[in-house]
Amino acid sequence: MLEIQGIGKTYPNGVRALDGITLDVKPGEIVAIVGGSGCGKSTLLRAISGLDTPSQGRVLIDGEQVTQPHEKIGMIFQEPRLLPWLTVADNVGFGLEHRPRRERDRLAAAALVRVGLADKAKAWPRELSGGQAQRVAIARALVPQPEVLLLDEPFSALDAFTRADLQDHLLDLWADLRPILILVTHDVDEAVVLADRIMVMRPQPGRIYEEIASDLPRPRDRQSAAFDFVKRRVLAALDRSLAKPATVDDTQTTSSEGAALWW
Amino acid sequence: MTATAGPATAEQKHRKLALGRFTRPALGILLPLALAAGWEAVVHFHLANGRLVPPPSVVYATFAELADAGELQRHTLATLARVAAGFGFGVVAGTLLGALAGYSTLARRLFDPSLQGLRAVPSIAWIPLFILWLGIFETSKVVLIAVGVFFPVYLGVVGAVRSVDRKIVEVGRLFRLSGVGMVRRILLPAVLPTYVIALRSGLGLGWMFVIAAEFMGASEGLGFLLIDGQQLGKPAEIVAAIVAFAVLGKITDWILVGVTTPFLRWEDRARSEES
Repeated sequence: MLEIQGIGKTYPNGVRALDGITLDVKPGEIVAIVGGSGCGKSTLLRAISGLDTPSQGRVLIDGEQVTQPHEKIGMIFQEPRLLPWLTVADNVGFGLEHRPRRERDRLAAAALVRVGLADKAKAWPRELSGGQAQRVAIARALVPQPEVLLLDEPFSALDAFTRADLQDHLLDLWADLRPILILVTHDVDEAVVLADRIMVMRPQPGRIYEEIASDLPRPRDRQSAAFDFVKRRVLAALDRSLAKPATVDDTQTTSSEGAALWW
Repeated sequence: MTATAGPATAEQKHRKLALGRFTRPALGILLPLALAAGWEAVVHFHLANGRLVPPPSVVYATFAELADAGELQRHTLATLARVAAGFGFGVVAGTLLGALAGYSTLARRLFDPSLQGLRAVPSIAWIPLFILWLGIFETSKVVLIAVGVFFPVYLGVVGAVRSVDRKIVEVGRLFRLSGVGMVRRILLPAVLPTYVIALRSGLGLGWMFVIAAEFMGASEGLGFLLIDGQQLGKPAEIVAAIVAFAVLGKITDWILVGVTTPFLRWEDRARSEES
């Protein structure tokens, strides 16, 4: 269980990036966060990961407050961020340093098989394509078996074909242990393909504007009418969120202090 | 199309590499060889007397003479020992202070300006002071060399540590590395390529400063040979010592590169050919 309670973030330069984000995520749930650029999506994810500390509010995992990176929380970035001086297999095993060498190698090898890159175990990261490198990053994040996996626009740097392939692959891997996935994306298709819940965010300050539940059966057909329906709802919500700058019909709880900063 | 072109070009490339292994060093040696042969011929046909600029045969004879008497070995060893000691101390000090200044902003603000100030002093200017403080023998020489080695290593390490990619450091944080773990598993490997370059320039300066150190009064060493050759009017001895310096400098650099290359195989270099 992941609980996000009233997270706010004000940067030292006074910019209010996030305001009053509250969100409970049940085990096994996949949540997508979409929104225009600069609406604080990544800031939110970094606050959940413990890399950054929120200015207000707190994040709880299984009732325990997250104040710094937590063993139950893994993260995948837009770039693979592999360590160039380690082989692919050692990169995958990077988070298992405390385990015996043999076990680490075995787990890393198994994870590489799982992402279809067993033959690249001894390769250097520079020898991989973008899609392959991102798959290694996914393997590295999943090997320690996190309960929550945060994904910050993980496929946005890839071509459309590789992206669709990796989305399916991610679901496949997710099905093994069903961690919570929280996915930040600006690709609406991606959000609808993956998520049980889609949170549309609105910028300045970043807030949750609308929540759209999606119970499309899996695997999801990107061409189906039902898929299209959800997609249209998300797009419409996104449009509304951007058309109206933070104003009037504020259904969300508002921190007046944040609003004052923005006005 | 690329599939058919792939293996052929790979094979061609392989053949080219195999050939290059022999032709490339040969290419580099062509110029000095031609110059030496030319000068040898000029002296041989009495177009010049070669008294001040000895031809290669005379230099070689001097080498053989020095080697037979055991002099060459004695001087070389003395110089090598000084460079090794000075390089060792300089590298240790430069690495430690550099890592500290790169890692901690407070430390950098505290002592980096002083060190930069000292760096502006030409290191040879320290010689009189070192002799007064440490005497004319080995200590002052080793310290001078260490000072010369220190600065490039220090600067290289500070720059390398400060420019470690934040994104990579975040990966370490996500996996909850301790301070020591962060240094060992992220910072050290990340700075290694720059560090090797810093060590190489440090070694180069070490060789430069050993001559200065040996000029300030030594009874043995290749620098002593230079002075000895000048005072006794034996240019062949001077040239022999210079050639010895060149060979030793190149060999030690080559060893340094050879020792560190296995740790840098991961580097994504535009030119994989060795320098």
